[in-house]
Amino acid sequence: MPLLSEGIETRQKQRRKKRNSYALLVGPSVFLYGVFIIFPVIFSGVFGFTEWDGVGIPQFIGFDNYVSIFSDPVFLFDLRNNFLIVAISVFGQLPIGFVVAYIIYRKLVVGGKVFETVLFLPITISAVVIAILWNQIFGPSGLLTALMRLLVNDPRYVFAVFENRVFAMVPILFVILWMYTGVYMIIFIANLQSISPSVFEAAVIDGASEGQILWRIVIPAMTNILFTTSIFAISGSLKSFDLIFAMTGGGPAHYTEVVAIYMYLQTFRFYNFGYGSAVSVVIVALSLGLITLLRVSYKRIEKRFG
Amino acid sequence: MIAHQRKLGIVIVSYVVLIVLALITILPLIWLLYTSFKPHKEIIENVFALPRVFSMDNYQRTWEFGRFGIASFNSIFYSTVATLLTTLLALMTGYGFAKFGYKRLSGFLYYFFILGLLITVHSVLVPLFIMESFLNLDDTRLGILLPYIAFGLPFLVYLSTSYIRTIPTALEEAALIDGASYIRVFWSIIVPMSRPVIGTMLIFSFLSNWNEFVFVFTLTSKATLRSLPVAVNAFAGGMARDFGLLFSALTIATIPMIVFYFVFRKKIAQGFAAGSIKE
Repeated sequence: MPLLSEGIETRQKQRRKKRNSYALLVGPSVFLYGVFIIFPVIFSGVFGFTEWDGVGIPQFIGFDNYVSIFSDPVFLFDLRNNFLIVAISVFGQLPIGFVVAYIIYRKLVVGGKVFETVLFLPITISAVVIAILWNQIFGPSGLLTALMRLLVNDPRYVFAVFENRVFAMVPILFVILWMYTGVYMIIFIANLQSISPSVFEAAVIDGASEGQILWRIVIPAMTNILFTTSIFAISGSLKSFDLIFAMTGGGPAHYTEVVAIYMYLQTFRFYNFGYGSAVSVVIVALSLGLITLLRVSYKRIEKRFG
Repeated sequence: MIAHQRKLGIVIVSYVVLIVLALITILPLIWLLYTSFKPHKEIIENVFALPRVFSMDNYQRTWEFGRFGIASFNSIFYSTVATLLTTLLALMTGYGFAKFGYKRLSGFLYYFFILGLLITVHSVLVPLFIMESFLNLDDTRLGILLPYIAFGLPFLVYLSTSYIRTIPTALEEAALIDGASYIRVFWSIIVPMSRPVIGTMLIFSFLSNWNEFVFVFTLTSKATLRSLPVAVNAFAGGMARDFGLLFSALTIATIPMIVFYFVFRKKIAQGFAAGSIKE
């Protein structure tokens, strides 16, 4: 009998040892993540219902912040700018990235690796540097102005698209394309490489044309990835801050402002901490909402065609 | 014959597309590089021309005025320490999630981390700032490192968990039966066997830490704590009148990353692709 109880004891001991080891391994990450991400998110949720300048005692004001946010024309215009970024990401970066990936993967050109290396390069450069560099190109005394002066032969020409309310976002959208298209190219190439080559060989033997290979084999195999990358594009778009902040700061007159910058200005420049928190909640809700919408429509499409 | 011509057409269009895109990508960077050697006056006279003499004058003045020495040190410090710690923590967590078999708890915590991929840095800036001032962590290096690590964790935990799951359990179980502790197993079996994914994790993490901007920008007010992107931003605001200095500042911040890119391009690509490949 003593042997058996000893066995139970060691097993208990071992179980405890296992549990403690697990806590030791997983605990630190969970703690840091909880304190520096989850707690602040909950914090935002709570303070979004208050009016607070960061010093005094927060006053509970219900949904007032949210009502003010959605009736502020500046915020609504910022939202429009965010949707432009989502649009350029989904309808610009994804298709261009895909076309390039396809060309390189199918070896339609010589030196695909070189092109791949060059196009992926911008991702390593800090958004702040990219912003300032492109400002020197799009700015009133920049490269584009000088180029246009040569082309139209008018020494007084000034490239001033930033000053136009409707088109002020165009340079920013262009830079976003410049910066991130390579990432989608890399993702598509990696996923194209995971399609079995025997499928292509069989298609070529059967005399399929390039177009048929693309539409019948590649696109169906890639729908899942197109969906995933759309999620990346949407959540990435709502995060866009560094680039625009360093490029225009949201100006002139809020023309290039996005919701993340709106939140930043409200909080750190005007010290409306409660209001800023509410804007944070709106940003998270928007990105969750858009992703859910995408997920639902993907499931529908899959049901119909899959 | 027609099929052949069509194929030729596709090839020509392909070349045109790739060459145009490659030029748009690379020309601004080449322009940045050679313009950084021109004095302000020369840039104003002609923005396109190559520099008349290659002088390091811009670089010398920028390095001093912009305090790029301390900013470079800070960038290296933040990126290295945060990268090492995040990778270690993520590996530990991945081992716990993948091998301990506490299915419910691990599953819950795993999704808890994955959810973090959706949370943007900006949505926690306000509370983070308040919290850090409350804990007296603002304006300290630790106060910058901790959020770097926390925000790096979700993706790295995802990478390490899915990799460690594929490591066969036989070796690890044999070691445990021989009386090795879990920590011992982690160090001498899991870590060595995860080498390929560790490379991707380190490099991907270093890249995102190096380019991080918002945390340092909002959580510090001291110039001595600035990282390179923040120093460049501050310098551009103050020195915008001298284009020569501005261009050399941009180049200083860019060159190390381009070198980094050419050394580790494959691993960086793997990091970006890892989140999307179907299993």
